[in-house]
Amino acid sequence: MDDALLWHRLQFGFTITYHYLFPQLTMGLAWILVYWKWRHLRTGDERYGNAVRFWARIFGINFTVGVVTGIPMEFQFGTNWANFSRYSGNIIGQTLAMEGMFAFFLESAMVGAMVWGEKRLGPRNHFLATLGVAIGSWLSGYFILVTNAFMQHPVGYALAADGTLRLADLQAFLFNPWALVVFLHNQIAAVVTGSFAVAAVGALYALRNRHSEQASLFLKTGTIVGLVASVLVAFPTGDMHARKVAQYQPVALAAMEGRFHSGPMAEVNMIGQPNVKERRLDNPIRLPGALSFLAYGSFHANVRGLDEFPEDTWPTNIELLYYAFHIMVGLGTIFIVLMACASVQLGRGRLEKTPVLLWSLMLAFPFPFIATSAGWMVAELGRQPWLVYGLFRTTQGTSEVVSGGDVLFTLIGFVGLYFVLGVLYLFMVGREILHGPQPISSTGKRGAAHG
Amino acid sequence: MVETWYAVLSFMLAMFIILDGFGIGAGMLQYAVGKTDAERRLVLHAIGPLWSWHEVWLVAFGGTLFVAFPSILASAFAGFYLAFFLLLWSLVLRGVSHEVSGHIDDPLWRTGWHFCFVAANILLAILIGAALGNVVRGVPLDARGRFTLSFFTNFGVRGHVGILDWYTVSVAVFTLVTLAAHGAVALVLKTNGPVHDRSARLARILWNVVLTLLVVITVESWYVRTDLFPGMLRQPFAWLGVAVVLGGLLAVFTGLRNRREKSTVAGSCAFLAGLMIAGAASVFPVMLHSTLAPENSLTAYEGAATGHGLAIALVWWPVALVLSIGYSLFIHRHYAGKVRPAEDTESPY
Repeated sequence: MDDALLWHRLQFGFTITYHYLFPQLTMGLAWILVYWKWRHLRTGDERYGNAVRFWARIFGINFTVGVVTGIPMEFQFGTNWANFSRYSGNIIGQTLAMEGMFAFFLESAMVGAMVWGEKRLGPRNHFLATLGVAIGSWLSGYFILVTNAFMQHPVGYALAADGTLRLADLQAFLFNPWALVVFLHNQIAAVVTGSFAVAAVGALYALRNRHSEQASLFLKTGTIVGLVASVLVAFPTGDMHARKVAQYQPVALAAMEGRFHSGPMAEVNMIGQPNVKERRLDNPIRLPGALSFLAYGSFHANVRGLDEFPEDTWPTNIELLYYAFHIMVGLGTIFIVLMACASVQLGRGRLEKTPVLLWSLMLAFPFPFIATSAGWMVAELGRQPWLVYGLFRTTQGTSEVVSGGDVLFTLIGFVGLYFVLGVLYLFMVGREILHGPQPISSTGKRGAAHG
Repeated sequence: MVETWYAVLSFMLAMFIILDGFGIGAGMLQYAVGKTDAERRLVLHAIGPLWSWHEVWLVAFGGTLFVAFPSILASAFAGFYLAFFLLLWSLVLRGVSHEVSGHIDDPLWRTGWHFCFVAANILLAILIGAALGNVVRGVPLDARGRFTLSFFTNFGVRGHVGILDWYTVSVAVFTLVTLAAHGAVALVLKTNGPVHDRSARLARILWNVVLTLLVVITVESWYVRTDLFPGMLRQPFAWLGVAVVLGGLLAVFTGLRNRREKSTVAGSCAFLAGLMIAGAASVFPVMLHSTLAPENSLTAYEGAATGHGLAIALVWWPVALVLSIGYSLFIHRHYAGKVRPAEDTESPY
């Protein structure tokens, strides 16, 4: 049975991590497209129209892979986590059903017309379709984050006579303070991903001296949005999130920082290796008092270490949690520095003549994906050993009728299928990027492929 | 309350089968009605930009089942574990092949993805049919409300059954043919030229097969679930369903003869809706029937989540439904009538 639990967790972890690579770009790009589309509508400037047409094609491929990898997520609650579904279905079912009813219907109705239907819809309605996709994708994000927030910090529930959870207060559940903070943090992180992708394509074209008009537009939008979002994702939203963790999951905070012992003047460890067996952090570089300040607003505040909590409530993989957290924070800091440098050069009108920055922007686009994946690992590993924090353990949640072998079989299937999907995705998107944005000629047909 | 949610779920499943049934049915026929690449592209255009909106009915059905009947969802999804993943993988392949086939103007690329699309649609129809067959026949639920199913056992319909037996296989075949027939009449409505003519010819053949298989399935269901037809007699909604089935069939056959394309499609939708209504009403309140012992069966009353949650969902659900239909109408307005390939071709390169 222990065996099966591992495969259940690994399958969900793998499929959700892979899935989330796509929606984050969808959610980040969506508002950039709305902005360009709006500029196009207001000014009639074809630069914006071409930018939207080009990115909408990439958006369409990205959206499709997001959708097809997302459908298995919803069904895995039932197939792999049947006891969890029995226990909390009446509550988390609310938001999963709302996501389908309010968000997916909106997105799915609009996206086909947004990608292919400019001629059919006309400029105004095409703008509305683009807006609809953006709103739908963010709504979907909100409902999923409320679902996750209930698992992280359960509110608005009551215990029924049969031992399962019942919804007691919809408002409390939907406006879970945890969800509001995570929504800001997560959505802005998605904008970071989107802006880095836009800037990277701009940098590529600038370095190759192709599509120079579009290159400037992509670099400008990508860099400015990228700087604002990179700052906001750290301060105030990342900071707010850390305070929520300190408040509601102090044991997870201790594990994230590799803090084994309590005490005032708690330090932030910039580097170091958690040594769980010896209960210490090896080879650390410390900032004394910083953690006390970040978590509680005072350098002298006591931050509890793992030693204050019973060991059966410790996160089950402290090392991975610690490293994931430090990777996320480290990358977030680098993003701010990179985008700040790029913005300065942009302001001076010299960004396109600074190869070192163009190279950095071009090669930086994978790192927001790594940072968001690491961030989600922090959230989900920090929640362990609970499925619903403090109420229901992960070990209780699986489908007991499904054997470890069955799950391993489907996991292997997913790995194979998703590998093929990934290759296909890179090929299709790479092809669009190499082809580049083509101005629409007077006949309404695309021009021949030339740089 | 329980009855309302049972009706809501039946409605959502019926919407999925009717709407996405167009896409699945037309998708299977892509090669049968399209002899050139342009004709096959026409089939994809006829399926239209709302195909993913159609598919969302299944996802929304899953979410609503979750909130209303969590323990039924838990038993069924875990019990059908491997079959569910086959369904999910087919949905993945179908979505991807639909999206990418148009991107590159190359015969090999297109043929490959079109083949993948046809295969995924056929597999989907079979899996949906087998799933419906399993719900009618029942599953080996134990006293704790749990079950597991192999893909097949001895192909018998009593006791320790598998997902596939002679009954569920025949329901799967029936579903395959019915969705193909449903897709064919939709293609007749949405297209012109050779695709239109071939679809019309196919539709006439397919609907005759549907009629024959309907008689076979009815007799089989009588034998497999002896309590089904007595249950039907007690339920006014089942009578309504039967009436809608007969009305739908009448509309289809007269529509096919008189070449009235819209009323044929309406009849085809009514036929599917009637089957779903009659089926859902006659098994009610049993949602998962046990083939081992009738007392193990899970009813809607036992499976429903009690209390506040369902009452609240009944407030927001209709609002979301109205919005959703509004979105689809907003898009549909621009795509009404026959497919106009010149406006929809995505200029591949």
